[in-house]
Amino acid sequence: MPVTAEGSVQTVHVHPRARDYPGSFLDGVIPQEAELTCGTRIEPGKSYGFFTDTTLCIGCKACEVACKEWNALPADQIGFTGMSYDNTGGLSANTWRHVAFIEKRGPTGTRQTDQAAFQSGWLMMSDVCKHCHNAPCLEACPTGALFRTEFDTVVVQQDICNGCGYCVPACPFGVVDLNPLDGKAHKCTLCYDRLKGGLEPACAKACPTDSIQFGEVPVLQARAEARVEQLQQLGVAGAHLYGAPEGEGATGGLGHLNAFFLLTERPETYGLPPAPTRPANRVAPGLLAGLATMAGLAVTALALLGGRR
Amino acid sequence: MRDAPGPGPDYDGPTYYDRPSLKPAPFNTTVVGGYIFLAGLAGTAQMLAALAHRARPRGFRRVARTGHALSLLAPTLGASLLIYDLHTPQRFANMLRIFRRTSPMSIGTWVLMAFSGSSIATVAGDWLGRVPGLRWLRPVGRAAELPAAVSGAALGTYTAALLSATSTPLWAAAPRALAVRFGASSVASACAALSLAERQADNHRTARDLDTIALAALGVELAASLACRRRWRALGLHAAEDTPAGAVLMHGGADLVGTAVPMTLHAAALAAPPAASRRGSALGSLAILAGSLCLRIGVLETGDATALRPRESLGFAQPKNLPRR
Repeated sequence: MPVTAEGSVQTVHVHPRARDYPGSFLDGVIPQEAELTCGTRIEPGKSYGFFTDTTLCIGCKACEVACKEWNALPADQIGFTGMSYDNTGGLSANTWRHVAFIEKRGPTGTRQTDQAAFQSGWLMMSDVCKHCHNAPCLEACPTGALFRTEFDTVVVQQDICNGCGYCVPACPFGVVDLNPLDGKAHKCTLCYDRLKGGLEPACAKACPTDSIQFGEVPVLQARAEARVEQLQQLGVAGAHLYGAPEGEGATGGLGHLNAFFLLTERPETYGLPPAPTRPANRVAPGLLAGLATMAGLAVTALALLGGRR
Repeated sequence: MRDAPGPGPDYDGPTYYDRPSLKPAPFNTTVVGGYIFLAGLAGTAQMLAALAHRARPRGFRRVARTGHALSLLAPTLGASLLIYDLHTPQRFANMLRIFRRTSPMSIGTWVLMAFSGSSIATVAGDWLGRVPGLRWLRPVGRAAELPAAVSGAALGTYTAALLSATSTPLWAAAPRALAVRFGASSVASACAALSLAERQADNHRTARDLDTIALAALGVELAASLACRRRWRALGLHAAEDTPAGAVLMHGGADLVGTAVPMTLHAAALAAPPAASRRGSALGSLAILAGSLCLRIGVLETGDATALRPRESLGFAQPKNLPRR
């Protein structure tokens, strides 16, 4: 058992059901394994998501690897981007978790050389599909390939997608991407197959610091609020949530993000839009303005055509 | 950092290593731009055909017939371009699985279906209505004129809503102005095509009427173009000004060739006697058609550019730009 700095023994929480599986090798999948790994029972009809606490991220990229392994996704690019430790670059059709690395800069724009002990000069953040409450990709999809699952997540059905590509510009976060090889749209499924089998999503299970936490969205939201308060008290003034209901990142009618984040800097620093909007809100204004124009010009045309005798 | 000509300076906050925060639409801009142009032309030609038929059934018979024929561009070439642009084209029929009112692409699919069906009926009435045994096609064609005209009006402008209902900054910034611009450009292009056909048949008086409508539409388009430009500048979206596509297609193509030149030529042609104005009018009509195509490809190209520029996309997604409730 780990010993804390004060010398008292800290008890490690072990789910009572874990004692039923003492062996290293199992015959099959443990029923509701997520209950043992993250204390969450996965049941259809409930809302599941990720809370990604960037203050805990150490940039190990285990989430990226676990995601690629479970979902059998090929490498996107092999080589160096030439910036920071981020050689992944961003989310794409084949990369559904992306760890961003931002080196903090001093006021003059140069690297900070003086830092308090044990403070990191790096911000690290594991980005992922936000599984928006009002998901713009889903609302844009003309085939119904994108749908909302029984776990309140947003998934592309690969056997239906016809590669029209409309979900790609619809996404306010630049997440959805087309794979030119198979001509279909791809993005994080929040491990739909694992959820069906009672397993915690691969990235969250692999995360060694619990920077990525999987669970029921209301539970995660409450936990995140408490974490922000704790960090504020510890002096992390910039700690705030991105994607909480109607808050930053969930503006303009998006509702809330099922995969939300705790950030310590402005969202733009991580490449996230501070005030995204729901594109479907622009359908009616566009259509009505267009039809009004047509009606106006039609009346003009009728007057001109009918006027001459 | 350059100062924006509109209110407020451009975004100069942080970005993630200047990497894009959005993904551009994976559309082939020429193919999709071509479809938007053809849909606008075909849809509005059908609308004008119905209006001409309503105004003077006898006098404008040829205009109506040409309009019906032009409408076939949408179900044939237009639909082919759409299917060609799919990345899994053999699944094009999956578009017909559902109707989704939040998706202008879904709305547009059904508008195109309705338009195609009713347009084919109008053409069948024109072309086959005199064949013995097929005379029943004439009343069918006439009955199809109204649904064809209404769905045609929608077809001529829904593409603007399709672009606006995305997160691409340039398209999302001005939904109303863009819709007015696309609609007016569609009307102008259909008038231009119909006017060319009337000039070909030496029917200069009808061509002049069509040129007058085109002139009115170009005036609306010009106003909408200025509104778009003002809005884009105010929001720090500069791709329409400082990219090659913006300069060539938007400034040169849509504004100069597609609006200023034909407005001048048409105005001069209308001042001259009907037969003498033939060349100027024809040239103006061709310019309208070219400009209308340039506008659509230009908007697609420059929109993609704003999606790829993090300063423009992050600057656009600021709380101050949220719609007021």
